Amino acid sequence: MKLLKLRINGVTREISIEEHDSLATVIRERLELTGTKIGCEQGSCGACTVLADGVALQSCIAPAMRFEGSEITTIEGISSNNELHLLQRKFIEKGAIQCGFCTPGMVMTSYDFIRNNPDATVDDIREALSGNLCRCTGYKKIIEAVAETLHGMKDSSPASNGLQESKHIVGTGRPYIEAEKKVKGSAEYSDDIKFKNALHCKLLRSTHPHAVIESINISAAKELDGVRYVMTGSELPATFGVLPISQDETALAVGKVRYIGEIVAAVAAESEEIARKACSMIKVSYKPIRSFLEIEESLFSINENEKIHPETRFDNNLHKQAELNFGDADGGLKISEHHSEMDFEFEGVTHAFTEPHAATAYWDENGLTLITATQVPHYLHRALSKVLEVPLGRIRVIKPYVGGGFGGKSDPFPHEIIVSYLAMKTGRPVRIRFSREEVFISNHGRHPTKMKMELGCDSEGKLNAMKAEILIDGGAYASFGVVTSYYNGVLLQAPYKLENFAFRTSRVYTNKPQSGAMRGHGAVNSRFAIETLLDDLAEKTNTDPCDLRLRNFLEPNTMTVGHYRITSNGSKESLMKVVTDSDWRNKYRKLPFGNGIGIACGFFISGSALPILRNELPQSVVHLKLDFDGRVLVSSGASDIGQGSDTMLAMIVAETLGISMERIFVIAGDTLINPVDLGSYSSRVTFMAGNAALMAATKLKEEITKAVQRVSGLDTETLIFSDDNVYSQEGNLRLSWMEATEAATAGRGALTVSGHYTSPKLGGNFKGAGAGLSPSYSFGAVAAQVNVNIDSGIVTVENIWGAHDCGRAINPLAVEGQLEGSWHMGMGQAVSEQLRYFNGLILNSNFIDYKIPTSLDVPYIKTNIVETNDPEGPFGAKECGEGALHPVIPAIANAVYDAVGVRITKLPISPETILEFFNARKDRTENQILTNII
Amino acid sequence: MESQSKYFKPECIEDAQETAKSLGTNFRYVAGGTDVMVNRHQGNEKCETLIDLTAIKELKQISKGEKFLSIGSLVNLEELCKNSDIANEFPVLCDAAKSVGSPLIRKWATIGGNLLCENRCIYYNQSEWWRESVGYCLKCEGSICIATGSKKYCYSEFISDTAPALISVDAMIEIVDNGASRIVQLEDIYTGDGKQPRNLKDSALIKAVLLPLSYGYESVFKKLRIRKSLDFTSLTTAVSSNCNGKLKIAASGIDPKPVVVEGTIKSDKEELIARVLSKSRAINNEMFTRKYRREMVRNFLSNSFEELGIGDLGE
Repeated sequence: MKLLKLRINGVTREISIEEHDSLATVIRERLELTGTKIGCEQGSCGACTVLADGVALQSCIAPAMRFEGSEITTIEGISSNNELHLLQRKFIEKGAIQCGFCTPGMVMTSYDFIRNNPDATVDDIREALSGNLCRCTGYKKIIEAVAETLHGMKDSSPASNGLQESKHIVGTGRPYIEAEKKVKGSAEYSDDIKFKNALHCKLLRSTHPHAVIESINISAAKELDGVRYVMTGSELPATFGVLPISQDETALAVGKVRYIGEIVAAVAAESEEIARKACSMIKVSYKPIRSFLEIEESLFSINENEKIHPETRFDNNLHKQAELNFGDADGGLKISEHHSEMDFEFEGVTHAFTEPHAATAYWDENGLTLITATQVPHYLHRALSKVLEVPLGRIRVIKPYVGGGFGGKSDPFPHEIIVSYLAMKTGRPVRIRFSREEVFISNHGRHPTKMKMELGCDSEGKLNAMKAEILIDGGAYASFGVVTSYYNGVLLQAPYKLENFAFRTSRVYTNKPQSGAMRGHGAVNSRFAIETLLDDLAEKTNTDPCDLRLRNFLEPNTMTVGHYRITSNGSKESLMKVVTDSDWRNKYRKLPFGNGIGIACGFFISGSALPILRNELPQSVVHLKLDFDGRVLVSSGASDIGQGSDTMLAMIVAETLGISMERIFVIAGDTLINPVDLGSYSSRVTFMAGNAALMAATKLKEEITKAVQRVSGLDTETLIFSDDNVYSQEGNLRLSWMEATEAATAGRGALTVSGHYTSPKLGGNFKGAGAGLSPSYSFGAVAAQVNVNIDSGIVTVENIWGAHDCGRAINPLAVEGQLEGSWHMGMGQAVSEQLRYFNGLILNSNFIDYKIPTSLDVPYIKTNIVETNDPEGPFGAKECGEGALHPVIPAIANAVYDAVGVRITKLPISPETILEFFNARKDRTENQILTNII
Repeated sequence: MESQSKYFKPECIEDAQETAKSLGTNFRYVAGGTDVMVNRHQGNEKCETLIDLTAIKELKQISKGEKFLSIGSLVNLEELCKNSDIANEFPVLCDAAKSVGSPLIRKWATIGGNLLCENRCIYYNQSEWWRESVGYCLKCEGSICIATGSKKYCYSEFISDTAPALISVDAMIEIVDNGASRIVQLEDIYTGDGKQPRNLKDSALIKAVLLPLSYGYESVFKKLRIRKSLDFTSLTTAVSSNCNGKLKIAASGIDPKPVVVEGTIKSDKEELIARVLSKSRAINNEMFTRKYRREMVRNFLSNSFEELGIGDLGE
């Protein structure tokens, strides 16, 4: 240990540190300034950026000892006397903050930049931020915030808050209610919440893809000074899984390992370092079994003892087969004038949220409390109960602020169960935080996929039939895989009208980290295929691809071939919007070689109508409490993971009661305090929790109305709730909100009401009919323009014009953020992202080699919100967080075809493939010239 | 647990080297730390002592003499790009420096550090656990190269972006060791063995980079990567001609050392490209394939010749 003296945010501190501690560790662990985040520990994400003597520095790769005597400024140090810096105010105002995990680093980098570059252009800003990764926003709003700060600094007039003043809350964009906390670095994420006397947990992971565990010797590790507990799989043999029909996972490997990286042992110790050392002292003896790493291998007939999961009912590693037939697909194809048929291949991609998984568990007189970065507190609550054999009533799951999820935190995870168990065994709080590598190993990302897709139409381009044969690689465990299997097929039955449609999806187990749900779940790859075939059919029928789509769209208020009830439908409006914005008619097939434009559409569910667990609980419940102080407490189990659901709930309640947002207080994501909401997945929260909040607020309004009638003696049937007043139309009654509150609480105290949401009964009467059923669907379109470098084959996305029908934008600022983030993420899958493996081991488990787009890679984005006022959505709203991703990938691929004539059937788009195509064509042309000469 | 780790921050070269010598090989110099600290995080680098060079002021000078422009090895890449002498005389170096890592990296990464950054291979730049799982490669106490599956030679790539730019304009470096200093051509410090990529003694330091003035270099720099920021190179080329008609090509990302080929502006360009390709021992050890990178060598160089206006001069 060594003493280090530095000035931190203007205060001189002397602290004892390990000589090789990173500055980030010192700031977070010793100085307890947790606004500085750790996202990668490799200088590749920028979340840990601070200023050292005024210069932006990634503190995770900076040796702390270097800064003896230095002035260090962290995010906590840039506002003075509680007055936010202009930059911070602009981040809030522009909606540049979603999950908020990258925000402190972004602000610090920008802070350094604006001071040194007062005349910077937008391109300079894009360049300056290109070492700070954001996965939520697509960077657009961040760049705007920095640009406006520069402008505001020059302007020197006091910056307005820039927000429109509107009487209506719903429909007026506003920053998240917690935005200030996030921009100041005081919002606490799982790893920021420290407990006294906590132990640290580290995991020992398998080094084999498929092997029997012959023995585990933990005796040396247990003896190590500072080790409190060492556990292995046999202590927690009960299985769990997010779906009740496929619970095939255990907290730690029991008897055998099924992928490299599976947890084999766990240590709780006094420090991370001791826990890590103890893990290295555990000796595991493995007997390797034949491993299955490719989809095809998993379809071979094999011995019982070679199967990844011996309990499956097939003689191979098939996990699930989903198959549905509507009409006569083969017949429909036969009579089609034009056909398009292609084979597609998709690499796996992963969520790459910026906050690594982290959790802390402790036990007290109330049983277990687990604080964890999760999208699904409710399912986790149940999984903990099952595996730990503890009654549901003795478990509390708390979701603090979460640094992004995108589906990657939507399963119960082994480490969450492990720290809960270790805390029980040691009687002390137990912490865990994942390295970035561990986040990648845990995966649950999009399934690697192979598919054959066939589409036929008549001479006019009217679709006759669609047929799909799909293989998906599930990795070692089930996760959401059964749902994924169906979604790959069923989510093809819109937005185009089809009468003959058939698909079959086979999901196989392989010895790789499991695949699961990722933004746009299940249908992203098959959407890509269908939109590519449509582009091909447009060419074959000599039709503009937009016209072809317009000819085939489903109308609003109709049924699909698989009995989906379509209500509001903004397909046409979305498509026309991007056609106009992109100047499509003047560009398609008219841009010079190497430049192209492409278009595609999509649709998605607004929550699954059938809940995962079949019981009589509503899908979402919201409680409201109005007390003497006039404040309305919104209590919801919904999980805000950066998408802004807490703000959405507050807005719905405020709008319904006609009161200002300051009177609303949201507490959410705590399974003890809040009523059940099923979680943030399948784009369900605005529709379901929003409707529950609306119902609760309406009830509260009724209660207040009754109380006001009682007090006033007037029997006005309807009172108007607006502008923090309650009044009658006739003008004979007018109460301020506080007066109304007094009336409502008189003689009984706080008034509590409850609202809930359960989907209507929907769908057909056949096996698999429930898959993809939703009370409403979102629709959208994207046009993309690309440049293909003729020398390298590298595709640069130059423009994205998007439009998405979200029913009604409750918070347009948040909706734009969701759309831009979706397009950014889709763009990554299109051009640069893929999980690569070597013998089952992920080769690129870091942000250098797993390439999510930087601010320099994301193009100009034009965002359009299309509103269709859904009849059942709260205030007409439906989903916007996932569906927008679907069309962007095929739009980019279709643009590549327009640019250079290369049909993309593999993702990510490979520069190598494009170059090979060029070379082949060059050879052809040369041969032709030669032939002509001869 | 008692840690043996030590940290020194000397203020002059002599103190740094004295400390170094007392430690044998169990130390590592740290300049910006953007390479060393990441390698330590991954367990690729485990020395117990770090000698931080950032307090040594004499390594931070940029000076223009009569014959040479001298850049102290501790000048960081952002500063380097802002220096008007460098921008005027050797814009190729600015292009190269701007292409390194990200803006955050360039604020701390130094020119000396970039010349000495560790060779990379996707089978090596991984955590301890990862390398244990694949069975350790040659570069970390294993017995074979994992990337090739059999070879007894390490092909980890030399990935500096600034080195090719500097080599193409005949840069030299001043090396200080044992109280003496010597000046060598930059390319001469690279061995071509991925396991031991440099022939410098552990205690040696690069004091400065020396760039010969008054040769009127014309240069073209190119870097291959998927993203416009953050990525390590998959192929970097720098092609420079001077006023005497000399042409020098340097490339990184395709061999354990920089590939250097010299000719004149009148040389047969196809032959020059063939020479670069024959010297390159690129293997499949990164995100792009060997085949693609070799093809891109051809494209980059042809385009560079064209941009220099010497594309058609081959005989």
